[in-house]
Amino acid sequence: MSVHDFWTPFSAGPFVNALFLGFTLGAIWLLAALGLTIIYGTMGVINMAHGEFIMVGAYFTFLLQTEGGIPWLACLPLAFIGVAILGWIVERLLIRHLYARPLDTLLATWGVSLVLVQGVRLIFGGEPQYVAVQPHALTQSAELAFIHIPWLRIFILGATLALAAGTWAILYKTIYGIRVRAVMQNKEMAASFGINAQQVYGMTFAYGAGLAGIAGAMFGGLKTVFPDMGLGYIVEAFLVVVTGGGHLFGSIYSSAILGELNSVFSYFTNSTFARFVLFVLIVVFLRFYPQGLFPETKARR
Amino acid sequence: MNGQSSNIYNDPKAQWFAYIVLFGVLALIPTFGTEPFQLRVFSSYAVYAMLAVSASMVWGFGGILSLGQGIPYGLAAYCMGATMQMQFQTPDDPIPSFMLTNELNELPSVWQPFWNTSVGLILALGVPTVVMVVFGFLMFQARLAGAFIAIMTLAMLNAFYSMAQDLQPFTAGFNGISPPNAFKAFGVEVDPYSSMLYWINLGVLALVTLGSKYMLQSKFGTLVRATRDDAERVRFLGYSVAYYQIVVFVFAGLIATLAGILWVMTQQYVSPTAFETPFSIYMVIWAAVGGRHSLFGAIVAAIVLNYLQTELADISDMWQKAWLLILGGIFIAVVLLLPRGLAGMFEYLMGFIKIGGRNSSSTRVSEN
Repeated sequence: MSVHDFWTPFSAGPFVNALFLGFTLGAIWLLAALGLTIIYGTMGVINMAHGEFIMVGAYFTFLLQTEGGIPWLACLPLAFIGVAILGWIVERLLIRHLYARPLDTLLATWGVSLVLVQGVRLIFGGEPQYVAVQPHALTQSAELAFIHIPWLRIFILGATLALAAGTWAILYKTIYGIRVRAVMQNKEMAASFGINAQQVYGMTFAYGAGLAGIAGAMFGGLKTVFPDMGLGYIVEAFLVVVTGGGHLFGSIYSSAILGELNSVFSYFTNSTFARFVLFVLIVVFLRFYPQGLFPETKARR
Repeated sequence: MNGQSSNIYNDPKAQWFAYIVLFGVLALIPTFGTEPFQLRVFSSYAVYAMLAVSASMVWGFGGILSLGQGIPYGLAAYCMGATMQMQFQTPDDPIPSFMLTNELNELPSVWQPFWNTSVGLILALGVPTVVMVVFGFLMFQARLAGAFIAIMTLAMLNAFYSMAQDLQPFTAGFNGISPPNAFKAFGVEVDPYSSMLYWINLGVLALVTLGSKYMLQSKFGTLVRATRDDAERVRFLGYSVAYYQIVVFVFAGLIATLAGILWVMTQQYVSPTAFETPFSIYMVIWAAVGGRHSLFGAIVAAIVLNYLQTELADISDMWQKAWLLILGGIFIAVVLLLPRGLAGMFEYLMGFIKIGGRNSSSTRVSEN
């Protein structure tokens, strides 16, 4: 890289393509951040092991494919269930004892992530594995004039929106969702109305982990599967959550905006520099809007 | 600090005595005829201990969970790497070889100041400090707290990591800079395998530790701990919380900066691994295992955990691979069961020793 080819001049076709890619990138970040948003928004827990839940989801899919010969699309719900069970166990054994010390959950979940990364490395080895995406058409690219986007990314965009809509429906259209929101607003009050807050937390954590599992199954097809892969998603996912303000709609908007910005910066410079500029921008942004893009006005826990 | 507790753990005199004994014992290591290679390993443990002290200061005492202590550490290390590299270069051969392979035909202007060792050292101390001051202002003036700080620092750390990785012509990218010669200053060459370097590292460690401890026992230290325990109340009492947080953040950053400089003197090597996320979190783990409210504990934990890691790696490949599993397990257990770490356990045990027949109700008085 020399200074001369650092700056890419503007040109309409590739730029529009970059805009479309930005949306799919935002969808990838949203997919990684969805579970995190639910867990943070409901429980105030910063789950540092979320990236590793994604990684476990990817390895679980890899295992289902190689050992069980299960087609990729069928792996998605199975990855959800598998990782949700893992999340439920982690909540039960660890998180549950730390609700009084929120910052310590961050540390404890980092311990979990160390154990998961190294455990997976001991079992599967450090070399990258591959998840086969079926049907085969998904591995092709969509071509329309100057737009050139892999079908898988479009599939992820659609799936992410569907999962976000599903999560919204659960939160706002079911009895379970009413309980979750009640606990979110005032845990003690909800508990005195007969809502089992412990159970709500357990289920929420399991659900958030399950979403990470699905994300892993898709990211496994998008890129390679390796023990450290979680680290590649976790920072962006966290930034989506904090810029959005820690709730579902905030995360949806902020992931779209951040994905777009990243894609535009990458177009003009390169992806690493874009990452740097974006992170610095977010730090400066949070200086002036510490509550994120969409601060929640109603009382929270 | 009313000195009413009978637990010897909380006795300030006993605490200073413990520190003097610790550094005294550590200072004797080279006199036992330790092999040069082993001595250099101990020298790097001193650097790790400094990083643990840094994490303990910012998180344990300041209540700021920074996962970005690698930022000042790495920036200082890169400045020091550049300084040492330029000591090797001559006016006839001004361009480091990695730049030539990256098709740079003249020394870039950001590298020019490092011709002069004094300027290089000033930059190694100054650049990270300026970054920490600006970053601290941005975060603490916005009254960000808790997990937000953790995420912001993590994001900045990652930003620096990718820059160090990507700016290959300036940083040698993934391979990193390995200056061929030992550091020279004031006509003295600091051999990384010598007991001189070990004593330098240990001396700086002792200096920053005792300096931190002195600071913590002052009124300033009391206010720092007060912002940790209840920032809102301190604000209501009319103090500027942001000021105390920024100072402790920059101070801890300065300790990490010194660690970064000494690391490159010890290892003659700097690479993007200095900015890696896990490394910055290990610093917090060392501080947590030792006891987040104890600098002494942080030092001991950093040394013991790194010693264990090296020893286990020597036994077999299997143990080396299992190490992170063990470390993760230790960390989870400490956070869950021993939130005040080994130092907290030690305090509990010391509580059984009664002095002068006084009541041994152990109220925590002076944090060690």
